[in-house]
Amino acid sequence: MPEPSPSRDLRLDFFRGVSLIFIFIDHVPANILTYFTLQSIAFFDAAEVFIFISGVTASLVYGRRLVSKGALYATAQVLRRAWQLYVAHIFLFVLFVAEVSYTARAFKNPMYNEEMRVADFLDEPHIAVVKALLLEFQPAFLDILPLYIVMLLIFPVVLIGMQRNWVLVIVPSAILYLAVQIFDIPVSAYPAGHVWFFNPLAWQFLFVCGAVLGHCSAQGAIPPMLLKIAYPVAALIFAATLVVRLSWTLHSIWGACPALFVRELWPVDKNNLALLRLVSFFALALLVATHVPRTARFLGSAAARPLVLCGQSSLEIFCLGILLSALGHFVLAEYDSTVAMQLVVNVVGISVMFLTAKMIDWYRVVDRRPALDPAVVRGGGEGGA
Amino acid sequence: MKRQLLLCLVGAAALNLAMTPSGRAEPEGCPVAPGSMEVLVKLPHLAERLRTGKPVTIVAIGGGSTRGAAAGAPDLAYPHRLQLALAAFYPGVPITVVNKGVPRQSAQQMVDRFPTDVIALHPVLVVWEAGITDAVRGIELDDFATAVQAGIDKLKKQAIDILLVDMQFSRRTSTVINFEEYLRALHRVGNLNEVFVFPRFEMMRYWSEQHVFNFDEVADAERARLAAEVYECIGLKLAQAIRVAVR
Repeated sequence: MPEPSPSRDLRLDFFRGVSLIFIFIDHVPANILTYFTLQSIAFFDAAEVFIFISGVTASLVYGRRLVSKGALYATAQVLRRAWQLYVAHIFLFVLFVAEVSYTARAFKNPMYNEEMRVADFLDEPHIAVVKALLLEFQPAFLDILPLYIVMLLIFPVVLIGMQRNWVLVIVPSAILYLAVQIFDIPVSAYPAGHVWFFNPLAWQFLFVCGAVLGHCSAQGAIPPMLLKIAYPVAALIFAATLVVRLSWTLHSIWGACPALFVRELWPVDKNNLALLRLVSFFALALLVATHVPRTARFLGSAAARPLVLCGQSSLEIFCLGILLSALGHFVLAEYDSTVAMQLVVNVVGISVMFLTAKMIDWYRVVDRRPALDPAVVRGGGEGGA
Repeated sequence: MKRQLLLCLVGAAALNLAMTPSGRAEPEGCPVAPGSMEVLVKLPHLAERLRTGKPVTIVAIGGGSTRGAAAGAPDLAYPHRLQLALAAFYPGVPITVVNKGVPRQSAQQMVDRFPTDVIALHPVLVVWEAGITDAVRGIELDDFATAVQAGIDKLKKQAIDILLVDMQFSRRTSTVINFEEYLRALHRVGNLNEVFVFPRFEMMRYWSEQHVFNFDEVADAERARLAAEVYECIGLKLAQAIRVAVR
């Protein structure tokens, strides 16, 4: 999907790249760097950024296809992307099974085998595998891709609906979101009693908001006045949530700092995308969109390049990040979990993500370069899409 | 030479005896990381009861690690160890710790048991071990936090003191179960309600890092003995925390 075009908004790539790095860091447990990611200063975290930007880019990329090649073609392309994500999810699942099967040794320990039988599904692999194929089995850290897949499955409807009128899309989406907030409707998963960690009925709203925003900005349909009016409100919301959330983080480090409004606000529901998360996310998104113009010079700088590249290969880098955090977890648990080791794990992991993104970009550029030598053209005829 | 060998054997045997959980002696080492056991909260009802010397009933409610089947006998589970340690601290007061551990229950399922398993016994203190099953099952975080809060409210209404116990740590399980968020949630609820959360997870992580108890590559029978030792340490540390909280 990421086909860099001249009109491409590098901000989307950059911030999606940042969110991918944060997702990696947040997934390495007991990681000191988590104090420096979004989740310690905001009520939302990188997951919101990732899903929202994915909505925006999906609408930009497939919106263009829809206009140029028709609805059927655009639908086929979205579904092909969903299929890629699905295959990636199954790949990660296989890695998870390998990890658990190895870990199952630990469950022979009488102190844990009664309570922590994560390997239960190894007792009924015929069911567990089918449930994984149906996206109903979402073990630890394998929960965001199923959400993304479902988002893409509904996306053709969103896309075609937006072509008629974006209000037709946003209203049902908002009603569904509000219904989940009021009636707390979970989506059940496997094994019995589990739920989808990212409730798709709630999170779809964020994705659709991103899609509608992408659609309207491509049409030039966002009145600048609206942003001007919303700006002070967003600034106020951001400042207030920053102070409150930061006080919680400081409280967890130094007990003496008071945690403001913690009794009133906590817990902030992530499964159902609590309103507080959503509103504070939109506030920050608006501030960033205002202060970081599309033409911002730093987006083209060498320093921003690795993050932009990560954002452009989001699927690959996302999967790699999950894999690396699992490996990092393993290293920290198995050998050493000192702060120095945590930093090593972070630095190595992020470097591998950067290098992989660079490699994918190099491959993409070479792949697209027209072969000048006729002999090469004749010799290398296979290729294909 | 022979005598030295004999001494050595006797010494080893004595050490072995001291280490066995059946002995009354405190285990050789239950080291904790410096500063990890700060108890700032009070247990006023228990303190009052101890002062007057009336019989004390404590209920330990929790999951499989409270029941303690891993050690092989109910007397080797941490609630009973806690009772022994408290009896040593307060010899004049009859203290009973009732074990109400049921494996694989969520915090909410435990709260549902409160009327029959806790309140009916009229305890003055409840030691509530929660969170493992919630994390394993991936129960919604705010449902978990709400359940713990509901439990605390129920007990406070009955004028019962509370002490929370967080999860067990195991190096390997933590790679496939996401404990962190549940751990944070439990501590935050405790913090909000001024309830001490016994840092079992951190303590066991410390033991794991310091190789205090080595579960790797040992026979099954040996594992049960090690489990009993861990439970003994947990019971002892809990008793020490309680002693500070009633001062």
